Amino acid sequence: MLKRRENEPAYALLNDPSSQAQNHYGHAIDTVQPDDPLRQQSFVINDDEIAAENPNRYKQHGFYFDADNCIACHACEAACSEKNDNPAHISFRSVGFVEGGTYPAYQRLNISMACNHCDDPVCLKGCPTRAYTKFAEYGAVLQDPDICFGCGYCTWVCPYNAPQLDPVKGQVTKCNMCVDRLEVGLKPACVSACLGNALDFGVVENIPENRSQAKTEIPGFPRTDITQPNIRFQQTRTPQRDMNRVDQSPVKYHRDEHSESFKPVVDKAQGSERSWNLAKLLGSHENAHIAFTLSAQAVMAAFLIMLSGYGLEPMQSYQSSNAMLPVQLLMIVLMSFGLFKLNMHLGKPHRFYRGFYNLRHSPVSREIAGVSAFYTGLLGYSLFALFAVSDNGFAVYAQYLQIVFAGIAVLGAILGGYYMYRLYRIEARPFWNHWYTAASFCSSGLTLGSLLLGLVALATSSMSQQLGGFLMVLMAIGLLLEIVGLSSHARSLRSSESEGAASFYLQTTRFGNAYWLRNGLLLLALVLTAYIGFGDEHTLFAYSLLTASVFASNIISRALFYVVVIPTTMPGAFFWKNAGFEEHAREVGLADMPQMGVAYEGHHAFRFDELIETIRTTTMKQKYAQLRSIFTG
Amino acid sequence: MLFGRKQKNPIKIVDKGIVEWKYATCGYCSTGCAIEVGLNEDGKPVSSRGVAEADVNRGKLCLKGIYEHELFDSAGRGTVPRKREHWHEEWQDTDWDTALDVSHDEIRRIQEKYGRDSFAIISTGQMLTEEFYTLGKLTRGLIGTNNYDGNTTLCMASAVSGYKRSFGSDGPPGCYEDFEHTDCLIAWGSNLPEQHPIIYWRMKEAQEKRNFPLIVVDPRVTMLAQFADIHLPITPGTDVVLQNALMHVIFDENLEDSAYIAANTNGIEELREEVAKYDPTTAAKICGIDEDTIRSVARVFAKADAAMSIWTMGINQSTHGSDGVVGINNLSLITGNIGKPGGTSLSITGQCNAMGTREWSSCSGLPNYRALENEQDRKEIAEFWNIEESFLPEKRGMFQTDIYHAIEAGHIKGLWLIATNPLSSLPNSERVRRAMQKLEFCVVQDCYQDTESAQYAHVYLPAGTWAEKEGVMTNTERRVNLVKPIVEPPGEAKPDLWVFNQMAKRFNKDNRVSFPDKAADIFIEMAGISRGRLADISGMSHDLIEKHRGVQWPYTEEQLGNNEQPPPGGKRLYTETASFCYADGKAKLIPLPFIDNNEVPDEKFPIWLNTGRLVEHWHGRTKTGKIGNNNKYSPIPFIEINPDLAAELDLQRGEYVRLVSRRSDAVVMATPTQRVPKNMIFLPFHFHDCANRLTLGLLDPHSRQPAYKQSAVRIEKLADQVAAAKLSMEMRAF
Repeated sequence: MLKRRENEPAYALLNDPSSQAQNHYGHAIDTVQPDDPLRQQSFVINDDEIAAENPNRYKQHGFYFDADNCIACHACEAACSEKNDNPAHISFRSVGFVEGGTYPAYQRLNISMACNHCDDPVCLKGCPTRAYTKFAEYGAVLQDPDICFGCGYCTWVCPYNAPQLDPVKGQVTKCNMCVDRLEVGLKPACVSACLGNALDFGVVENIPENRSQAKTEIPGFPRTDITQPNIRFQQTRTPQRDMNRVDQSPVKYHRDEHSESFKPVVDKAQGSERSWNLAKLLGSHENAHIAFTLSAQAVMAAFLIMLSGYGLEPMQSYQSSNAMLPVQLLMIVLMSFGLFKLNMHLGKPHRFYRGFYNLRHSPVSREIAGVSAFYTGLLGYSLFALFAVSDNGFAVYAQYLQIVFAGIAVLGAILGGYYMYRLYRIEARPFWNHWYTAASFCSSGLTLGSLLLGLVALATSSMSQQLGGFLMVLMAIGLLLEIVGLSSHARSLRSSESEGAASFYLQTTRFGNAYWLRNGLLLLALVLTAYIGFGDEHTLFAYSLLTASVFASNIISRALFYVVVIPTTMPGAFFWKNAGFEEHAREVGLADMPQMGVAYEGHHAFRFDELIETIRTTTMKQKYAQLRSIFTG
Repeated sequence: MLFGRKQKNPIKIVDKGIVEWKYATCGYCSTGCAIEVGLNEDGKPVSSRGVAEADVNRGKLCLKGIYEHELFDSAGRGTVPRKREHWHEEWQDTDWDTALDVSHDEIRRIQEKYGRDSFAIISTGQMLTEEFYTLGKLTRGLIGTNNYDGNTTLCMASAVSGYKRSFGSDGPPGCYEDFEHTDCLIAWGSNLPEQHPIIYWRMKEAQEKRNFPLIVVDPRVTMLAQFADIHLPITPGTDVVLQNALMHVIFDENLEDSAYIAANTNGIEELREEVAKYDPTTAAKICGIDEDTIRSVARVFAKADAAMSIWTMGINQSTHGSDGVVGINNLSLITGNIGKPGGTSLSITGQCNAMGTREWSSCSGLPNYRALENEQDRKEIAEFWNIEESFLPEKRGMFQTDIYHAIEAGHIKGLWLIATNPLSSLPNSERVRRAMQKLEFCVVQDCYQDTESAQYAHVYLPAGTWAEKEGVMTNTERRVNLVKPIVEPPGEAKPDLWVFNQMAKRFNKDNRVSFPDKAADIFIEMAGISRGRLADISGMSHDLIEKHRGVQWPYTEEQLGNNEQPPPGGKRLYTETASFCYADGKAKLIPLPFIDNNEVPDEKFPIWLNTGRLVEHWHGRTKTGKIGNNNKYSPIPFIEINPDLAAELDLQRGEYVRLVSRRSDAVVMATPTQRVPKNMIFLPFHFHDCANRLTLGLLDPHSRQPAYKQSAVRIEKLADQVAAAKLSMEMRAF
């Protein structure tokens, strides 16, 4: 239990004699009704049960930031990191800034930002492990790193960069609102440390003394309709028309003449030169996602196409051909590879089983559940295929079981495939938040899936004109889907007032050559498809060319998808929270010095010992409770 | 919980297990914040916090203070004395006796061979006052070299000199409480939010209670400039012109305080005559501030009931540094703004104990603002120390900056460096490096053995840092506050006081001069010789200081005897009529003709180089460069460059450039910003082998302080960015 000094200065004391009933978004500020049983539950911090002394305990609290006053002295960040014992590369609160104007009419607007303990915490809903809780106490959104398995999805969905994924420890941690200080009547450490009289804290919508506004937007702060953040601002000095970022993100904020609010627009200061940057494109942290999504989509589509043999002719003969055994083997290998890459990219891969825990809210949980079901179905189907062919008494049962497993796989593929797409429809990542994502995923499935089936058929001399034609039709649909999706995506991005426009700028400049190569490859693949399909040219040579172009275009497409995405996060500073500098520091070796505040990605081992220990120390009752709460929340 | 959560996840919040808090005064800048360091069960310092009831900081700390407990453990600390024959040999570990004997023998050898003053001692603003006093006694009373100075010459010498010229003595007359009474504040070359964030907070608190106009004179649009009601983006090095023009308007419009001038000052006629030449129309063309603004600022300042000026390095580090201080004092004197609440001329000091060294180190004179030039002062101190009066020189010796020129010329052969790092901090580092290579003997006493200057040392003495020691420090508002030992120095490292006392034993064979062991006893000795002087601390003791979380001087024995408690703050100097330190009690109004001797941009070197501080770093970064949660905000050197100039150089954000001056070059990263004009770059001075490779550092004629802030450079974009990155990184190895 935190001890409070007897003589704490007034600025450090919570001071909310009254509060409003509803917040800016029309939600009740009381987190729970007066008679709610949650009020009777004890509030335990570090195993200490704390007596309810704070009369405002069940009211939504939030930070108040006076953007007129922040001097970027970093005292808030230091106080926070000191209290939470964070290493230099992790911070629950960060100060970045935007600037505009011309010397000496220059203006810099500093923004200090931590977690906004949102009304609609997308982190909580997104987290597959249920590591997040929005407490009735203060409305605090707290996360438990001991539950987290380090997938980092919360860092994707949060528009404010509040959850911090530690590349060394492989887990997420975040602002805890200093609820221990709140319980003894103190404002959070960052607020008490503020030297510009910029930061404050209290029941949300309460305006501190000497302040007059409770705005929900300032230039550089991401839109508030995504999560309804509990932060209010004062900002009275008129900003310049254009407020620029100083991190290397090609985004600036432009004043809308009518609404006076600021919209993110692309900042083309880095020029329009097209380059390759292949190493950056193909060497990112997200390579595991490229491997997983492409292989899972290919296998799921191939499996579904193959199953169409139960009714559709060309695949019916495929099912009885020599290709069947090798194609199933190949699907299992590919799917295992994808799942392995996905799991081992977690910060704590041995906690994989927690991926299902948030079926109620998280598309990631549903994706994992779906894909796991599909994998189970695929394995079962293929296993019983071995028995179904041999002429023994078991064959009939094996065939029945095959149908059951096929059903599981189909269900899994539909669910898993859908949520694999849904999970990327993230409002805080405008580049992904478009139907192109679905088109592209389907396209990958159709092109790679039909290619997979076709290649195996060729290799096992099972190719027929009919089969080839059928596969080429699917291939063409896939390619056209990608092409139509891409052009719609491009049109929408170019005209958008969001970070998406900046992503498109990156895509066509920094990765411009790869972008145009991919577009060319798509057309080439379409021509080859037509050539093979119409010309009945099912030759190894033609397929090799098609394979190369389809494979390369899929990889470039998917790599671009992950690498150019620009989230709606807070602006950084020139060094601190500048992704461009972090990348530079890792490239040249500056990051070798721990005092740089830039860490390398650590190796995250699969810790069998921890897994066994968890199994051993969890009682059956706990296991049952855990299982139940997957469905109940 | 909410969103269907039925079960509360456990809440885990870091508990550092603090069992005890220990008191100290912050060892970074001269704001003088009272700090408490939390120790866990193992006695390890794990946390820092501001002392809630201390008047200076009222519970607040800046980011450096918040992480000060990490200092004790930081990399590069010296733990064993070391020696070697030549600086290019490997270090050999040794014991204290050998290290001190060698140092003593070498000092005496050099003095005997080349004369008493051929051995120089350069100290610092980083130590505790009792240590300064002891070192002064050892140097002036026993070693007997007159070439003894502190690195305060690099930061506050112009303020010292300006105060002496105007008021007859050093000693800032104002206090932080003045912010709460002032009706107009001019900040001259002072960027409080970055340099003195806690003083900024005190000002902000005062401003929120009573809004007063804030006028900021700074060529760069700092945060303070941006928050100013009036920002004067002055041409570098022309402050004196602006000051003269302001006074011109004040006299022209009869806005001066004639009664105050008559009762408190001499020299008004000469001043009027000189400033008559600086009509705003003429001045505007030199200082770059338009004439309307000059008139308007003069009126706002002169008409305010109480107006104050603060300044920092923008004034001090200039060829007109001392004149700039006198100009500020002139403005305050002619408007009657000295010694009254909200009316003052307050130098915002740099190092934590720069004031302590000014008062007690005997660098520029003798203890407690006594002058070597004054026979009575020499006599008093000689008697008190039990030395021959004739042993004391009759005139102060060289300043730090001149000492280096004398090393270069071969007049000085040996050097004792104490807690300072001239290889980083003096202008024109390459010249400093060449000088250091010539030394016959150099002893470096520092808490860090990786201090760059130790490269050229023959003996290294590992010292304790900050709260590994006991003693007092004086802050910007003349508040004496206490540092207590929180932990022991690492390994065999020892407090500086112990080192001086051990060294003194070797020079004090007949035991003639007394050197008390304990800081508290030394303080009593100092209090004794402060009686009746400007900086009278005779009423204070370590216990009283800690009880009151710092006491402003003067606080006399009489006040203590009368049971008069020291006030929490608000103590000022020169509050009575004609109470200045000149014999007739009157301050001097000194005319300031302007001579433009700056290195101004020209065709070959077309860009102004402006240097300055960042909030996250302390001086040469020996401390903050090792603390990740400070260092990360600016881990490598960079320039702020105007985007229009960057475009001409085809320079992108984050690319490296080479800066070239008439001295040498430096490799830095560029960040384009409209914070600086197109003909100027801003380069933080903290980084070794960087800013000071470029600076000229022309010396002020009065204070001998270098003009770090006015040099000219050209900028070259580097074709090989990878090599540039490597070069920049290598220089950060320290």
